[in-house]
Amino acid sequence: MRIEKVVIENFKCFHGRFQIDLNDGLNVIVGQNESGKSTIIEAIHLCLTGLFNGRYLRNELSQYLFNKKTETDYLSAVKEGNSPEPPHILIELYLKGEDTPELANLIGNLNSDGESASGLRYMVHFNDDYKGEYEKLLESGTLRSIPIEFYRDSLKSFARRERTIRSLPLRSALVDATKVRTQSGSDVYVSRIIRDNLEDDDRVQISQAHRKMREGFMEEPAVKAISEKIGDDAKISDQNISISVDLSTQNAWETSLMTYLGDTPFHFIGRGEQSIIKTKLALSHKRAKEANVVLLEEPESHLSHSKLTQLLKSIQDDIGTKQIVVSTHNSFVANKLGLEGLILLSNQQTAKLDHLTPDSRDFFMKLAGYDTLRLVLCESAILVEGDSDELVVQRAYMDGHSGKLPLQNGIDVISVGTSFLRFLEIAEEIGTRVAVVTDSDGDVAAVKKKYQSYLGENAKDHIRICFDEEVDDGPLNEGENKFNYNTLEPKLLKVNDLNSLNGILGGAQASNDELLVSMRANKTEVALKIFEADTSITYPQYILDAIEHCGGE
Amino acid sequence: MENKLIIAGAGSGKTRFLIERVAENPDRRTLITTYTDANGEEIRRKLLKHLGYIPENVVIQNWFSFLLEHGVRPYQGDVIDTEITGMMLVNTRSGLKTRTYQGHPVYFAEDTETERFYLAKDGRIFSDKISRFVLRCDKHHGGKVIERLSRVFRCVMIDEVQDLAGCDLDLILKLLDAPMDIVMVGDPRQVTYLTHREQKNKNYEYGRIADFIKEKKKKKTPCEIDEEILAHSHRNNAAICAFSSSLYPQLNPTMPCTCDSCRSDVAEHQGIFLVRPEDVLHYLGQHDAVQLRWDRSVKVERGFSVHNLGASKGLTFDHVLIYPTGDMVSWLKDRSFELKPGTKAKLYVGITRARHSVAIVYQFNDEVIEGVENFGVDEASVT
Repeated sequence: MRIEKVVIENFKCFHGRFQIDLNDGLNVIVGQNESGKSTIIEAIHLCLTGLFNGRYLRNELSQYLFNKKTETDYLSAVKEGNSPEPPHILIELYLKGEDTPELANLIGNLNSDGESASGLRYMVHFNDDYKGEYEKLLESGTLRSIPIEFYRDSLKSFARRERTIRSLPLRSALVDATKVRTQSGSDVYVSRIIRDNLEDDDRVQISQAHRKMREGFMEEPAVKAISEKIGDDAKISDQNISISVDLSTQNAWETSLMTYLGDTPFHFIGRGEQSIIKTKLALSHKRAKEANVVLLEEPESHLSHSKLTQLLKSIQDDIGTKQIVVSTHNSFVANKLGLEGLILLSNQQTAKLDHLTPDSRDFFMKLAGYDTLRLVLCESAILVEGDSDELVVQRAYMDGHSGKLPLQNGIDVISVGTSFLRFLEIAEEIGTRVAVVTDSDGDVAAVKKKYQSYLGENAKDHIRICFDEEVDDGPLNEGENKFNYNTLEPKLLKVNDLNSLNGILGGAQASNDELLVSMRANKTEVALKIFEADTSITYPQYILDAIEHCGGE
Repeated sequence: MENKLIIAGAGSGKTRFLIERVAENPDRRTLITTYTDANGEEIRRKLLKHLGYIPENVVIQNWFSFLLEHGVRPYQGDVIDTEITGMMLVNTRSGLKTRTYQGHPVYFAEDTETERFYLAKDGRIFSDKISRFVLRCDKHHGGKVIERLSRVFRCVMIDEVQDLAGCDLDLILKLLDAPMDIVMVGDPRQVTYLTHREQKNKNYEYGRIADFIKEKKKKKTPCEIDEEILAHSHRNNAAICAFSSSLYPQLNPTMPCTCDSCRSDVAEHQGIFLVRPEDVLHYLGQHDAVQLRWDRSVKVERGFSVHNLGASKGLTFDHVLIYPTGDMVSWLKDRSFELKPGTKAKLYVGITRARHSVAIVYQFNDEVIEGVENFGVDEASVT
């Protein structure tokens, strides 16, 4: 059983309705801060476990769970004398999977689509029992926040039946490396994951063993002696007083047992190691009957690069039939886990990369160092080949925008090496505005062929390929080959002159040819000097075209 | 799909038949439903005894809560928007709007006043309209209700199917056509409750479900009707079988089972007896009989267990003592006396609870009824 779709209303950063379609296996949610990545993960976990921040939300309802704007809208409507419906929080999980009775049991049309579907619906809503009190509160005019004291939560199937967490055919495990959560020494999450991992037989055995241990404790002569002593001393009641171990609760073992790693209690080991172990535990979930959703919040936190690689590998190896939802800021994580599972989140909208060619998917998975997420997350991007191009383009942009860096206006200048086409594929998928700044290397026809999907009749509004169509030539040779006059440096010289460049580079080259050779030999240094210079140079038109295409006013 | 209706008398092992079907296939997702909670409990108890556990895939649920959970709620949206909070048990036709000056009742109309037609003011659905509502939901959503049901359950078993009436019967036709096994058992003599009364299918009230299925069922998915397989009573002895069968002369008489296990514990006290009111305490003390009465208004002997006739359905006792109604006495004296269907059914149920003896409280003088002994007469003549 899997989650097909999640609908969230008025919960935390989501104002009104938000919807996200999930993939069967891996889901890598990326987005800017505050875009709602964590909220999605929290919502799924809340619906399936009743837990929020590691505690049962039922007992701790608060108006801060509501979207801020939802609350202000409601309060201003109240102020204007309208009687708006008190707002609600809604989390719906639409489920799919094999046609089992468990899945069919959840079918009905109690969902915000009003369609027949299988699923669960968690709500925090006004409790009609308090109608009278609420109306009095409205009349008194003292309502300053959502009247959460009149609220309750409920979990129902789409078939309108109240469900308990225990009765759900789907479970989730949350591994959140960004927060510390402990409860009476033991980590709730670990014990929960371990508990869920046990078959019913195992549970019976462990609880019996625990009971035996407690009973054994009470049979100890020392304990008995103490009980007698207390009994003699304390004459406060007619009844006998003795000490005993709590035998009353059925699952006491769950709270009194602690997880150890080697000789160290779980919560004493490093945060990074903790999240690796939690993830592995969650993935190794053996209970055959229950499909599982594993939720990973920013797995990169607290992990070194090699540990992270290790963790990502185990996710890929052990995913099995589980559904995984990962939130991340890290390109490496996204690339490694596979860009086809990527879900981009911004302004309560989602976009996917699921039409990427298998070839490109493979490429980024193997060469996971590429900054794919920068392209995915920026408003628009200028793709360049290397460091020197990046510096020059940045400076060109600053010169045209009163010293502001492109990133300050949402434009990311990304070095992509020779992988322009791979990145363009991503840009095409998600519709990011992109300009490519490239050298022609003297073969305009080859460049045009390479980018044919984006030029001429195939031109796309949001993608522009910028290079100098004019092929330059000169007398210089490099060894046996002719000098390449169609790269950045010669193009720079073409629109500036020997003196001004000598001035900026602090050199004293005697001729254009000498300057060209020296710039060629010190590309990055040249670019740095241009970038840091007090005076500006003139830029080739194709660079200015790229900047103009990306706007950024 | 395998559909089956078994018609058989009291004590013939109808519930046992269902339980054996469950035991044959405990992994099949099965619903066992029946009208009363008491019978539901009895089924649970018998299943537990037979298998030692209740299989995870078996759901035992009474008819109304089954309809509410799987028929009403999943697709109530679009038909009625307000939340249906539960069920309101009604004995008379529900949805009374007003009365005319002449005192004639006027009811809410289904099409224009849908909500009031189906629901009480507190949002509970009237018990006499649940199955009607289920059919309406199913129709409105193009068969989704039944489709969902057939995905949740692979088999639906209905015990005491004779209690169902009106739209319940139409619903059964739908279930028979759905891709799941339907097994129904019932006894047309034991209609002590009806789920409700309505004009719909009135001709088939009082347990004429076999006729209903014979006449209305289309050829598509047949339903086998078996009135023979369970012809023997494993509970009642010969005298009780003969006495109870005389209530329904037009039906096949029930025969006592003669197998060794059934007849292994022959009691000393056997047969049908009349007991004078003044001898009741004495009789109860002597034979430890269970008292059966029409309802709570009938005075009984405290200190001895007692059940209402209707609610005793499905139970077994060694000896019973029945407090008859006036009509029952009339029938006792003249077997051609026409009892009302409900009264007849309750008397039948009462008689057939006993394995060894049935006593009926009656102030007899010197009359002698065939096949019935007068308790205490011999002793009185001796002393």
